[in-house]
Amino acid sequence: MATSFFESTPEEDFSQVPPQLLKRMSRYRVARADTCINCGLCASLCPYGVHRRIEGHVSIMPPAEPKCIGPSCASNSYYCVKNCPTGSLSVGANPVFDSMGDPRWTAEMILGTWKMAESGEPLPLDHPANVGASGGGFDRMSFALPPMKGKFDPLLISTAIDLNHRKEGTKIRIPIPVYGGGMSYGSISQRTMLARAMAAKELGTFTCTGEGGYPELLIPFKDNVITQIATGLFGVREETIKRARIIEFKYAQGAKPGLGGHLLHEKNTPDVARMREAVPFTNLFSPFPFHSVYSVEDHKKHLDWISSVNPSALLSVKVSTPNDVEMVAVGSYFAGANIVHLDGGYGGTGAAPEIAKKNIAMPIEYAIPKVHRFLEKEGIREEVTLIASGGIRTAMDVAKAIALGADGVVIGTAELVALGCVRCANCESGRGCPRGIATTDKELEQLNQIPILARRLTNLYRAWQLQWCELLFRYEMNDIRQLRGRMDLLRYEGTLGRMLP
Amino acid sequence: MYERYHVPKNEMPPMGEPFSKSSVIRDARCMNCGRCKDACIFSVHERSAADPRVMADPKSYLCKNCLRCVEDCPQRALSVELSRSYLELGGGLWTPQRVVTIWNEAWTGKVPVFGAGYRGKFSGTGYDSMWTDMSEIVRPTRDGIHGREFISTSVDLGKRVDYLEFDASGRLITKMPSFVEIPIPMILDLTRLDLTAQAKTGLMQAAKALGTMFIAPAEGYLPNGRNGSMVPLFSAGNTASRYDLSNPKMVEMEYSPDWASDLKALKERFGGIPVAVRIQAKSGIERLAVELASSEADVIHILYDEQSQESDGRLAKDSLMAVNRALANVSLRERVSIIAGGGLAAAEHVPKSLLCGADAVTMERALKVALGCHACAVCDKDRCTVDQNGITSDWSKWRAVNLVGAWRDQLLEIMGAMGVREVRRLRGEIGRAIFYEEIEKDAFANIKGGV
Repeated sequence: MATSFFESTPEEDFSQVPPQLLKRMSRYRVARADTCINCGLCASLCPYGVHRRIEGHVSIMPPAEPKCIGPSCASNSYYCVKNCPTGSLSVGANPVFDSMGDPRWTAEMILGTWKMAESGEPLPLDHPANVGASGGGFDRMSFALPPMKGKFDPLLISTAIDLNHRKEGTKIRIPIPVYGGGMSYGSISQRTMLARAMAAKELGTFTCTGEGGYPELLIPFKDNVITQIATGLFGVREETIKRARIIEFKYAQGAKPGLGGHLLHEKNTPDVARMREAVPFTNLFSPFPFHSVYSVEDHKKHLDWISSVNPSALLSVKVSTPNDVEMVAVGSYFAGANIVHLDGGYGGTGAAPEIAKKNIAMPIEYAIPKVHRFLEKEGIREEVTLIASGGIRTAMDVAKAIALGADGVVIGTAELVALGCVRCANCESGRGCPRGIATTDKELEQLNQIPILARRLTNLYRAWQLQWCELLFRYEMNDIRQLRGRMDLLRYEGTLGRMLP
Repeated sequence: MYERYHVPKNEMPPMGEPFSKSSVIRDARCMNCGRCKDACIFSVHERSAADPRVMADPKSYLCKNCLRCVEDCPQRALSVELSRSYLELGGGLWTPQRVVTIWNEAWTGKVPVFGAGYRGKFSGTGYDSMWTDMSEIVRPTRDGIHGREFISTSVDLGKRVDYLEFDASGRLITKMPSFVEIPIPMILDLTRLDLTAQAKTGLMQAAKALGTMFIAPAEGYLPNGRNGSMVPLFSAGNTASRYDLSNPKMVEMEYSPDWASDLKALKERFGGIPVAVRIQAKSGIERLAVELASSEADVIHILYDEQSQESDGRLAKDSLMAVNRALANVSLRERVSIIAGGGLAAAEHVPKSLLCGADAVTMERALKVALGCHACAVCDKDRCTVDQNGITSDWSKWRAVNLVGAWRDQLLEIMGAMGVREVRRLRGEIGRAIFYEEIEKDAFANIKGGV
């Protein structure tokens, strides 16, 4: 039942969510050997609070590793390892930290996202968690940051964007240049969906149902929920279309362009199957492409169909990034789309063939300037809302995407990381996510509490918003829309003529 | 009657304990509380069967690196690291991830499907610096590629005629060239593989089961294991070598300065079937290709090294494109087929080789990896830890069939996304690929420091 989730919502202040994740994952390992005599010297020396003795206890507490600054501390007079009279302490790299993450989402980036989700505080703009180590695209791009001149007041800087740039139709403005990506019921748990919707409502932006139908739990949040019409048409009904302020047509998804959705059989539980009007525990591959769309004229008919069902809704067309992406964007505009949503090749997914993630269609970094320029040349740039997604991981990636020419972005994976995802990539099968985020397993789902999940998301976006404000303030801008297309502010470390690492 | 091509697959687990990508380490602080057992949904942590009071050693090979146990352990006694043996796998193009992927493909025969987005480097060298195109609304349908709709991966090897001529009574008078059709653009090349007789026999059976061909030396190569799928390879000057099977579908010869006389001898000896010329890729290969294409040769088999390079360092991607262009420039591209071999370390290298200009590819080291090889940067027999002696021909056969089957299914995925229904149409279709060098200029040229 819809209400049962809320019954457990206590009147608590969740502005600081419990740091359950950061407590355990740390960059350095501090080991105390059995030879420790509990003299307490380390506790009195360490200014960072790594070593601590609770008043009245004999033993020192296990080292609070996340607070340790690592072996570089050796140059300090208070370095615990040097001062320990029995030589019981050692500080070194934590192999668990090294095993986390990957070039696109480094361990640093995962921890940084967790930190913002737990505290709501922004990271400095030059923090290493803002960039990945993939060796290309956003990771070789940076803003030539002017120095800070004084302090900024976030209330005086606007990060809002409009989602409808056409003269006619409903006007919708969101206070941050971000809304949530489509994640279906089936790929993620109902709790995760609900938390995303709660966060979207609080922030005044949107989240998206994905292609797995519109769970009734989300109806209280309907003003902040986009519903998707994907090729499988799972759970698409007239009432779900009438309910939404924005309807998203999913032609393709960046992680698996041209392949349609994948929901592997184990995650297709009876509840999921009911929503999708499918047989439980069968593989659900949504077909590709839309069987009713084989030309741009068909595409227009498709959009007209939805317009006639819900005339006030904005239409978003989500496409992947083929060679002719700019033509696709122009075609979508003329067919009536308000939002052209490009999903780049390195985007997230609940399940996709590995070969598709790397190899099919171009990364979003290339597609944004290509489409932005082409729309300008066609003279329709100011009537299209260009939204980018697919491999946009941090607030700085968002800013880079906007500087490359997008109006705003869609975020998927970063939201899940904020909820505690470590990107172990096991969401596709079995019981799904071992952390209860992207699962349909009733037991695993219980690992997370909705209010905490929602708070982690709003914390993340509040932190991001402050990062954008700082960036804009440094450039003496007061509106994020001024940043759009400002490629001149970017620096790119080109690699042509050199071997990539 | 028409029969849909289908690769039969048969799960073939590795011999011995499966490989562990992570090592899960339980240190002395563990107090056997069992919280890890509750946390782990992959059964890495279990209580000891002999003494349920203590936890058994973690089964690292089941670990999926979710770090739940590390997080939940009240004693901080657990850690998960990338195992040393994982980090030491492969070399260069053959990354640890690729080696493990091939092992899994050979085990299950399935297309690797995982959650979460792409996790690797932005781009790389050679084939890793290109992306394939896709189409938003063009057929074939995705649900069709594995089911209802016809999508062909057949290729023809040999010469093609530009046009057909008929006499007044409608009879064909054009002399039809010799060619052979195989249902997948992948041929097994055993020539350079150092394997036991059992393993080789299995691979020969795999080629037959797949309906494709295998290349192996004509003389002295496992006479008892041979079957009709064999392409006998004749070394230079030895075109008269004994070859005991009567009707090969294709024969191959080594390139040498005297290639023309060898070619003539083979054409005479095996009339009516295509003859392939096997040639090491080095600078100037495009000129040699034009020379061969103007001759009686039907197929050019170009060999790259296992890092996907010519002997002079040019990348196979660039080399194949140059060959394709050189042949097209003199209108000889249809006169000859091109097989590319070497440096195919992942499924995506097959369609990318084709896009760069090959008609088909050969699988070599990937087959050896499927049989357990670690693809070390330097193959040192004295330090090799892989025991080949336990390999049976049946195991070898199914591991290879599973691998090729998984690669073919992934080829279908790429073709489905591109809206291409015939693998022949991929050949040289560089307009349907996205190249790092070009797109980088296109997108970033006016950013400071760009390109």
